[in-house]
Formats: sequence, structure tokens, C-alpha cells
Amino acid sequence: MSKIVILGAGISGHVAATHLRRKLSKEHEVVVVSPNSNYQWIPSNIWVGVGRMKSKEILFPLAPLYKKKGIGYKQAKAVSFFPEGDMTESSPYVLAEYVAGSSKGEKEKVTYDYLINATGPKLNFEATEGLVPGKNKTYSVCTYTHADHAWEGLKDVINQMKAGKKAKILIGTGHAKSTCQGAAFEYVLNVEQELRRHNVRNMAEVTWISNEYQLGDFGMDGVLMSYGSMSMKSSEMVEMIFEDRDIKWILGAGVNKVEDGVAHYENLDGEQKSESYDFAMLIPSFSGHGFKAYDKHKVDITDKLFKGFMIVDADYTAKPYDEWSVQDWPETYQNPTYKNIFAPGIAFAPPHAISKPRKSKNGTDISPAPPRTGMPSGITAKLVADNIIDSIKSGKESLHHKGSLGNMGAACIASAGFGMTKGSGISITTYPIVPDYNKYPNTQGRSLSKTFGNIGLAGHWLKLALHYAFIYKAKMRPFWWLIPE
Amino acid sequence: MTQRISKYQRFVMMNPIIQFFKFIYLSIRIMVVVAGGHGGTRKHVK
Ligand SMILES: Cc1cc2nc3c(=O)[nH]c(=O)nc-3n(C[C@H](O)[C@H](O)[C@H](O)COP(=O)(O)OP(=O)(O)OC[C@H]3O[C@@H](n4cnc5c(N)ncnc54)[C@H](O)[C@@H]3O)c2cc1C
Repeated sequence: MSKIVILGAGISGHVAATHLRRKLSKEHEVVVVSPNSNYQWIPSNIWVGVGRMKSKEILFPLAPLYKKKGIGYKQAKAVSFFPEGDMTESSPYVLAEYVAGSSKGEKEKVTYDYLINATGPKLNFEATEGLVPGKNKTYSVCTYTHADHAWEGLKDVINQMKAGKKAKILIGTGHAKSTCQGAAFEYVLNVEQELRRHNVRNMAEVTWISNEYQLGDFGMDGVLMSYGSMSMKSSEMVEMIFEDRDIKWILGAGVNKVEDGVAHYENLDGEQKSESYDFAMLIPSFSGHGFKAYDKHKVDITDKLFKGFMIVDADYTAKPYDEWSVQDWPETYQNPTYKNIFAPGIAFAPPHAISKPRKSKNGTDISPAPPRTGMPSGITAKLVADNIIDSIKSGKESLHHKGSLGNMGAACIASAGFGMTKGSGISITTYPIVPDYNKYPNTQGRSLSKTFGNIGLAGHWLKLALHYAFIYKAKMRPFWWLIPE
Repeated sequence: MTQRISKYQRFVMMNPIIQFFKFIYLSIRIMVVVAGGHGGTRKHVK
């Protein structure tokens, strides 16, 4: 009998838990430890943030589902890792603290045979002075509660515009090293469309602010894609959309301080500038959760498990940009020291960025951190689950399932506005996610037959279809496993 | 505002009938990328 503990019930943790439960017999225990009692389909938060969806439409409670399916659930947060156990507990364990119910505040040693760390990112608002969602007209859409607040704030500004007041809207990244530009990009387009729907577009100045060097970088060093019968750079595509929708842009901006109505930033020329706003949505930087790890003598071994995020089978040797290769990226997401620990999704430490690193004239790093979107988060979680299942069934370590971001495609359907007849979406597929300049030297590291872009109403229907399909899958409804990650 | 998307392009992008076929076409193309699979990138010495 084996016990598999999964930390986190986001896209990757939930995918791992559901596949493990489906494929392993009931003698094996699958336990999820996660502080949020709900599963949330994060990609639809941008629609909550413009009031076109209610947050209850994108979430459901985990406990009843897990009970029905025979998955153990502890509403708790992992605090520290003991991969060798300690003097009184011989099994490896994670120290978890309950966050709700009668056990709130109590700590428990949750022992395991296999551990999947799927805790995603810490939303590191503190890294930018004053970037506190909802406290100073700056909002976030990273969680459904944040998105609810964002809609309250936006609604207010829309009402002010209806009453005749002009407004400045600022959307983008809130830190020099933020990632997740894609989410902010979707949000700026959705906000712009809502302003038109409310007949106040002429009252608003909409500005995109980002740590990207070029538009359309998205933390992936930009993408060359096929677009209809020609090929187009993502920078050209985004520029076309922004110009068409009268969205201004500020690039190479490392936002370092946010005050009520003013965002301060440094640009790549080393200048300190500021931009005023009446409503802002700025994505914070993502960081690891600051977990600690100890050996059985309680000696601190955090550096064996964490490098901010969790250390896995990546090549972390520091190299210049020109020497980066797809081989640096992990394949199995296994910790090299403790081989029964894995970290799929956003929880693993990437070997380096994907976009070319850039510094301002003052030496400040201003460039996107690497994104890990929903599809790779699901795929890496499933392959980790499959390797654990094979290892349990064969009685010896099996790592046949591999999935490097350098040999994996991603589909990104970016919403550009909500509405069954007026909506639109930008459908982009990218293969591989991490560009392979050796394999595809003439097409900026990507396969043009598998990297394409399309703009239109169909993109909105696709994004909406994915919303329903993935919530259906997450609820483990009949034949859920037929829907791919 | 600069009109970067022509009236004809916009018509194609927003016409529900054209977009219905586009929806089917895109779903298939995306499935091909998704079902195309994934793997490692390193050569493993046994
Ligand atoms: C607004 C927004 C829109 C997005 N849109 C898209 C999109 O359209 N398409 C796309 O592909 N991707 C999108 N993404 C990215 C996508 O949401 C992420 O790639 C995905 O959520 C990552 O999954 P994850 O499981 O690694 O992390 P998460 O989903 O963040 O899950 C982490 C889990 O860990 C739990 N946790 C946190 N701390 C602890 C702890 N101490 N102990 C135990 N559990 C803990 C959390 O409660 C959560 O359940 C979007 C992201 C955002 C923010």
C-alpha cells in the first residue's frame, strides 16, 4: 500500500489527484492538502473581473467531490518539509497547519511515500511597495476574490465616466520580474470591450504597462507564428490589436511603487517615471512560498529542495542567454535528492527565463519571468502521476513519462472580449513552449506548422467551451478523463 | 485610434457563420497540437 500526498488543489494538484485516484486501486491512499476549500478555474477570472461571470460559476467546493471519489482532503497549508522524517517519525512527512474548522491552527505531520508539491506560486504583492489589491485603486485578477474586487472597482470608474468624468486605466505587470502577461493582456482587451459596451470608451484612456521589451513577448521571447497564409510575429499581432483598439503601451517598465492613483516605474533607460491612473490591474511577481526543509536531525536542508521554487531535474548551471538550450528544462519534475518528491505546474524552479534577460542602465533586471500556463501545468501533473503509478505497480522507480517544455505544445486562447456574438478571442498555439533554436533555426525556435494565431469570434466560443469542458473534467463527471489536459 | 483591421477582415472575424466553421477548424488544429504529445529533450545514456 502506498500513500501519495499532493500539496495544492489548483490545476496541477487536482489533475494529479484525480488521475492517481482513477488509476490506483483503493488500497493506495491519495491525500490532498490545500488551504483553499474551492477548486477555481483561474483562466475565467478575467471575465469575473469585468462582471461578465460570477465567481461562483468558476469554482466548486472540493470536500464533497473528494469524499465521493475516495480522495483524502485536509484543508491545511504545508509549512515545512521533512523528507527523511525526524527522530520520532521514521516516515518522510510534511508539516501542515489546518486553516479552517475545529482544527484551525493545529499542526499535523502528514506522512507520505510519494509527495507531489503542486503549490503553484505565491502572489508576491509585497515585492512592489503599495501593490495591495483593492487598497489603492489597484486590483488583481489572480484569484476569484481579487477578480470580484476588481469588478467592483471597474464598475465604480465606469459609473464615474457615465457621470462625465474622464478616467485613466492602467493594466499590465506590477513588478520588473512579473510573469503571466497573457492574463493581463486578456484583461486589458476585455476591459476595453466593456468600456465600449457601456458607451464610455471615449471617456477613457487605456494603457498597457509591461516589463516586456516588445509587445507580445508574453515571457516566451515572443512567437513567430503562421497567421492565415503568412507568418507574423506576436509583437506585430499585438501592436495591430492595440492600435486598432486605441490602447497605448509602455514597455520595459519595472513598476516599483504604487500609490493611490500613481504607479512609479523604472524603464530600460534607467529613468524613473510615473503614470497616473483611476483604475489599475497589475500582476504581481510570483515567488516560491518560502518553505523550509529539514533532515531527520532537524538540520536545515532547504537548499536541497528549494531554489525559490522546488528544485527538480533541470540544469540550473548559470549560463548566458546564448547558451540556453531546451535540454536545461526538466523532463520528469523529480527532485534529484529526494526521488519520491515531484513538483509539476508552477511549483518547480525553472532553470532560467525564456525571454532574453535585460537590465536597465541602473542594473535593475527588467524582463519577464517564464510563464507556465494551464496546459503545461496539467500535462506535467499527469505525467508525474503516471510515473508514480508505474513505480507503485512495478515496485521500482519508473520515469518513462517525460514532458519537457522544450518538447511540448501549448494552446493559449486569449479572450479579447466577452459575448456570444460580440466577443472575440485570440487563439495561439505554440510548439515548443521553450524555443528550440537548434531544431527550428529559421523560425525563431518554433515549428510554424504547430505555431499559429487566429483572431475572431470563434476564439471566444473556444475559450468559453474550454471553461465548461475543464470544469466538467475537474468535477470528475462521466468520462472526464477523455478530455485532454 | 488607427484602423489596423480592415472592414473586410473585421467582417470575417465577427461573422457567426464563417466563425462557426472556424471554430470547428481551430478545435481540430488545437487538438492536433495537444494530441501531438510531449516528451524529453535529452539523450539518455543507459
Ligand atoms: C488571471 C489569470 C488568467 C489565466 N489565464 C490562463 C489561460 O487562459 N490559459 C492558461 O493556460 N493559463 C492561464 N493562467 C495560468 C494558469 O492559471 C496557471 O498556469 C495554473 O493555475 C498553474 O497551476 P498550478 O496548479 O501550478 O498552480 P495554482 O493553480 O496556483 O494552484 C496552487 C494550489 O496550491 C495551493 N497552495 C498554496 N499554498 C499552499 C501551501 N502552503 N500548502 C498547500 N497548498 C498550497 C493553492 O491554494 C492552490 O490550490 C492564468 C492565470 C491567471 C492568474
